[in-house]
Parts: sequence; structure tokens; C-alpha cells
Amino acid sequence: MLDCRIIKYREDFTVDITLRVAPGEALGIFGGSAAGKSTVLSCLAGTETADAGHIQWVAERWFPPPRPLHARRLGYLSQKERLFPHLTVRDNVLFSLDRHARAAARPWIRELCERLSLDALWDKPATTLSGGQARRAALARTLCRKPPLLLLDEPFTGLDRPLAREVMGALGDWQRRLGFTLLVVDHDPAVIRALCDSAVVVQQGHIVQSGAAGALRGEDEKQPRTD
Amino acid sequence: MHKSVLARRMLVVPVALALLYPLYGLFAPVGTWEWHGHQAFASLKVSFLLTLIALLVVVAIGTPLAWSLKGASHRERTVLDAVILLSVLMPPLALGLLLALAFGPETALGRLLLALNIPTSNSAPAFVVTQIYTSLGYYVIGATAAFEAVPADLEQSAALLGLRPWQVFVRVTLPLARLGLAGAMSLAWVRALGEFGAIMVTSYYPHGMPVQLWVNLQDSGLPAVLPLLVLFLAAALPLPWILHLRMRRQHYA
Repeated sequence: MLDCRIIKYREDFTVDITLRVAPGEALGIFGGSAAGKSTVLSCLAGTETADAGHIQWVAERWFPPPRPLHARRLGYLSQKERLFPHLTVRDNVLFSLDRHARAAARPWIRELCERLSLDALWDKPATTLSGGQARRAALARTLCRKPPLLLLDEPFTGLDRPLAREVMGALGDWQRRLGFTLLVVDHDPAVIRALCDSAVVVQQGHIVQSGAAGALRGEDEKQPRTD
Repeated sequence: MHKSVLARRMLVVPVALALLYPLYGLFAPVGTWEWHGHQAFASLKVSFLLTLIALLVVVAIGTPLAWSLKGASHRERTVLDAVILLSVLMPPLALGLLLALAFGPETALGRLLLALNIPTSNSAPAFVVTQIYTSLGYYVIGATAAFEAVPADLEQSAALLGLRPWQVFVRVTLPLARLGLAGAMSLAWVRALGEFGAIMVTSYYPHGMPVQLWVNLQDSGLPAVLPLLVLFLAAALPLPWILHLRMRRQHYA
């Protein structure tokens, strides 16, 4: 169970968001630009520190006090890919695995490689990738060690529609099969509907609606039906 | 040719030629060169061996120090910057005099070292310590810049993939900072190897190459200096020169 309240003071408004996510649940955080969605994920990951509140993941207290980043068992795909520029795609993807873990994870790595279309890129330096290719490599790196909690911040930015659909399908399959808890931030309701069971709508740092992800509608779609 | 390119070249070419012109001194008609092989190789050995030891100490002390500065508070950083800059800006002769006094028999530390049979002047330890004092600041400044150039978000990414801080340092920070660190090392190397003013005061013996050049100039004149000078330049310059060129090329790429 993820149980958190993130309070983060910003110049224009205060982000104050409380979430309770059951193990294996997929929750979407939907909202417009600069609504405070990404702040929630970065505070959970630890790349930003909340000003107040708490973060409890299963039996571990992540905040306060801030738990070191390496001790948070999660996968975090931020809006920037942050691939290691001195490594190839292979070495980026396998970065978190030691030699023994790599041998044991071979079928899983094969699957990641196939479903994220990384075969042709495998030995390329990370610096030569396009935006979409880097995104897929970063996703594979995030998933490689099968984190029990996965945080995705606009995961399909830079991917064309058919590829995004394919990756979305793969993510859904993996989430059901591996049972990881998933938090997805996006401003596209279609992404959240495809990946999540439930959703919250964030405006000006606060949750204004919550409900089933399937009922979520964007401004250019119908009026939101979540309640 | 575009006017701006022409204007730049008109400025660059004369300055480049002026900077290279001192090398023409090697061809100056000073008479038949005199080669004192034994002295030359002895001073080369002293310079290289002791500079290598000094550089190892500088890297061992300076690297963790520079890395730790990344997370330092503004206040800590200002204090340390001030101290490091003082060591860098100190005139070499003044530094030599201060070292001779601070480690001499007039001070408690100097007396303790002498009591432990560690000679604090005209000895290999004095030579190495002087080189450390003259080059450490340059290394720390270069290494700090190299570490600061590594994006913090890449280090965070590595930590989020489960790596402990030392593993992040070894697998991300160090590889990404390696050229900058090599540049800092080469700068420290050249600074230590070429030190004359401070070494003259603290460690006239054993003769390193700069002191040997001075001795040759005093005793036998320019014909005895030039062959040793060529050896000195050939031994000291190529590696740092190539490293710095590589750094610049990577920076401009």
C-alpha cells in the first residue's frame, strides 16, 4: 500500500495531495500543465523533497525523514529520459543489474527488448538516439529490475501513435502479470484510461475529482464524469 | 571568404605566431650545444619520480575533496574557495619562503619532523611537499569544475536504479568527469614539474629539471641549457597538451 500526503510550497500555489494506492493498483493523475502532478511523482521518487506530509510505502517510511534514493524500491520514468550518455542502450537498460542478475533476467530482458522495439538500437550509443527511441530505452531501464512501484511521468511523449499504443498494451500486460503498483501522470486522458483502474484530477495542486479511470474525459472530450 | 572570418583570422594568426615565437629560441645561434648526459638524466629522474609521487598525493587528496564540494553549503564553499585560491595565487617564491619557515626548525612541527629524522629542506620529502603545495589548488579547482559539469539528474537516475553513492560515483560521475579530471591532473602535473621559485628555496637539492636548467645557465651558459631544455619540453608537455586538446574538442563537439 502506498499511503502519502505530499505538501510542497510553490510560488504560485501549494501542492497538497493525498493518495492511497492499493498494491497492484494503477492510478492515473490527470491535469493540465503545471498543475502539480509531476511534483507528486518527484517527491515520491525523492528527486524533490516535500515540505511537509508523509510517504509510507508498505512497511517503509520514505518521508519524513527523506529516505535515500537508492533505498526506495521503485522505478521512475521522469519527463526527461536521463540516459547515461557514456553508455550504449544495452548498458543503460542493464545498468541496475549485476552479472548474476543479468543472467537470471535474460528472458525478461529479451521480452523488454522485443516489445519496446529496442533490438536495432541495442548496441548504439545512447547519445545517438532520437527522442522516441530514448524514451523506450529509458522505460526498459526503469522496468528492467521489476520494481514493485512504478512511477511514469508522461510516458509516451515523443512516441508516434501506433508505437505508443503498442507500448501502452505492453505496459498493461506487464502490470497485470507482474502486479506492480503503477502511478501514471499524463495530460492525455486516453493514456490514463488505457493504463489505470482509477484516476484523480489535479488542479492548482489539489485533487478536485477522483473516480474510475474509464470515466475520465479531457476538456476536448465530454465533460468529466468522475465523481 | 566572409568578412568576419577574414577579420578573425587577421587577429588570430598574429597572436598565434607571437605565442609560438618563443620556440624559435631553440634555434638561436648560441654556439655548439653541450650535453651533460649524467646530470640531465639525473635531474629528469628526480623531477619525474618525485612529481609522480606528488601527483598521486594530490589526486588522492583532491579528488574526494572536489567531489564533496558538490554537496557543500554556500558558506563552506566560500571558505574553502578562499583557502584554495590563496594557495593558487601565492607567488611561488613567497610560498617557498613560507614553507621553509613553517616546516623549518623554528616551528614545533619542523622540530618534530626533524626529530623523526624527516629532513624538511634539501630532500626528496621537501621537494614533494613543495610540489603538493604548488599544485593541489590547481587540481582541486579543475576537478571541482569537472564534477560540477556532471548533470545531477543523471546521478539521481543512477541512485533511483538502486546504486549507492559510491557506486554512482564510480559508474556515472567518474566516467562523465574523466576528461575534466585528466585535464586537472595534467595542469597539476605541469605546475608541479615546472615549479622553480618555491623549489629553489625549499629543495635546491636534489636538482630537479628546472633547478638543473638554472645551474647549467649559471655555470656553463646557454649551450648547456638548450639540450636539457629540449629534453624538459619533450618530457613535460606532450601528454598534458594532448589531454587538453581532447578536452577542448569534446567541449566544442
